[in-house]
Amino acid sequence: MKQRKVWLIQFGELKTFFRRLFVVALFIVAFLSIFLTRIDSLVVSAVDKVIIDMTGPMMQVIEFPARVIHRAYTYFYDISHIYTDNQQLRNENKQMMILQNKVRTLEVENQLLSRLLNYIPPADATFVSAQIIAESGDNFTHLLLVYIGDEPVEKGQIVMGEESVIGRVDTVGNRYAKIILITDINSKIPVIIERTRARGILSGNNTSMPQLIFTRSNADIKAGDLIVSSGAGGMFPAGLPIGFVHTVHSDGTVDVEPIADISRLEYVRIVDYGLSRDSEFLAEFTAGNNDGQ
Amino acid sequence: MDNKKFEQIPVFLRHLLPLFSAVLFVLFFFMPVNSVELNIFRPSIGVICVYYWRLNRPALFGWFSAFFIGFLIDIYSSSPLGINTFLMLCLVGATGWLSHYFQTSSFGVRWFIFALSALAYTLIKWLFLMLYFAHWLPLAEVAVGYFSTVMFYPLIAAINFWLAQKFIPPENINEQ
Repeated sequence: MKQRKVWLIQFGELKTFFRRLFVVALFIVAFLSIFLTRIDSLVVSAVDKVIIDMTGPMMQVIEFPARVIHRAYTYFYDISHIYTDNQQLRNENKQMMILQNKVRTLEVENQLLSRLLNYIPPADATFVSAQIIAESGDNFTHLLLVYIGDEPVEKGQIVMGEESVIGRVDTVGNRYAKIILITDINSKIPVIIERTRARGILSGNNTSMPQLIFTRSNADIKAGDLIVSSGAGGMFPAGLPIGFVHTVHSDGTVDVEPIADISRLEYVRIVDYGLSRDSEFLAEFTAGNNDGQ
Repeated sequence: MDNKKFEQIPVFLRHLLPLFSAVLFVLFFFMPVNSVELNIFRPSIGVICVYYWRLNRPALFGWFSAFFIGFLIDIYSSSPLGINTFLMLCLVGATGWLSHYFQTSSFGVRWFIFALSALAYTLIKWLFLMLYFAHWLPLAEVAVGYFSTVMFYPLIAAINFWLAQKFIPPENINEQ
């Protein structure tokens, strides 16, 4: 009887010891994850994909009633604004007709000049439409979770709203993908100012207005200038519209207002310009050249 | 459905309710709201759930539950994987210690202690992320998020209280 009591005490102590060990292990795993994320570990991205695929369907179920309510609200809002929208569209249509004639002339001119220069145009882009099912839940991050189904999507592909860049694909699961928005602190895009061709980097800062950094101190930048992707680095093709210069501060910092109203999007387009394959080819080509030397 | 029908749910499933409800709350607050203004007011719902359950039902919301909630938030946000997990574990440790002193206190006191805990959580996260990214993070939006979190506490606490009363067997109350 006494031996059994001693054994029970020892078992209890062992249980407490293992419980403490478990807590310490959880702390270590959490702490190590931070550093593994820093070095972009394969383990971390694999776990990321698994959790997103596991919780994605649950997220879709939760978000469905909210989507129905939002659609009903949008429907009645649109009906109430139908007259003003119609007037605006008529005016836009008149302007578009004038532009269409100009575009036709320019297209013919472009084809003739391209033939003269033996210019090889890049391959046409393909795109996948994806439904937004979640947004980042705090003020520290700016990202979206989208449902992609069985469509082929790769990390690094460009994500566009109705007409401009809103971010890039960060993680791809089996049916869901995580998108880093241009306003997120992790986002850095090489850009140029369309009017002056001055180069810079559009850097997210977790506010609704990312900043233009690494521009020349004497660069001519004015409020209202259009910011487009520069194509440097091979991640984004050149010339994609991103935003307009909102404010040029006296200390040289430049606030950029994204063209797309990200918060009002329901669907996004994930565009494949084939740049990831080109990047792989260029990397192999560069590595081959270095070996040869 | 009356209480008798709830009682037919296996006890082990009802014991998972704190974790399950916390997961649902966290996912719910990641839902797109289609508004810039509302986005700024998103509360840190995970902090509320972890604090509430750890303070009121510590036996049913342990270290692993907090680890899972933190991990889920890390996955759904673009902050470095592990930061929310680590802070949630710290929050569970701190709340477990605080529960010895404030478990029987009035709601107002527990709300005030929550406000302090959430402030510590937010500030540590803010400082850590600034160091991690080597970039200044705007404090104004973080502050708005923090106040929103504090203001949301009574609502989430009331829902959690109702869930606990309805589903969790009374013999498990305050056990540890």
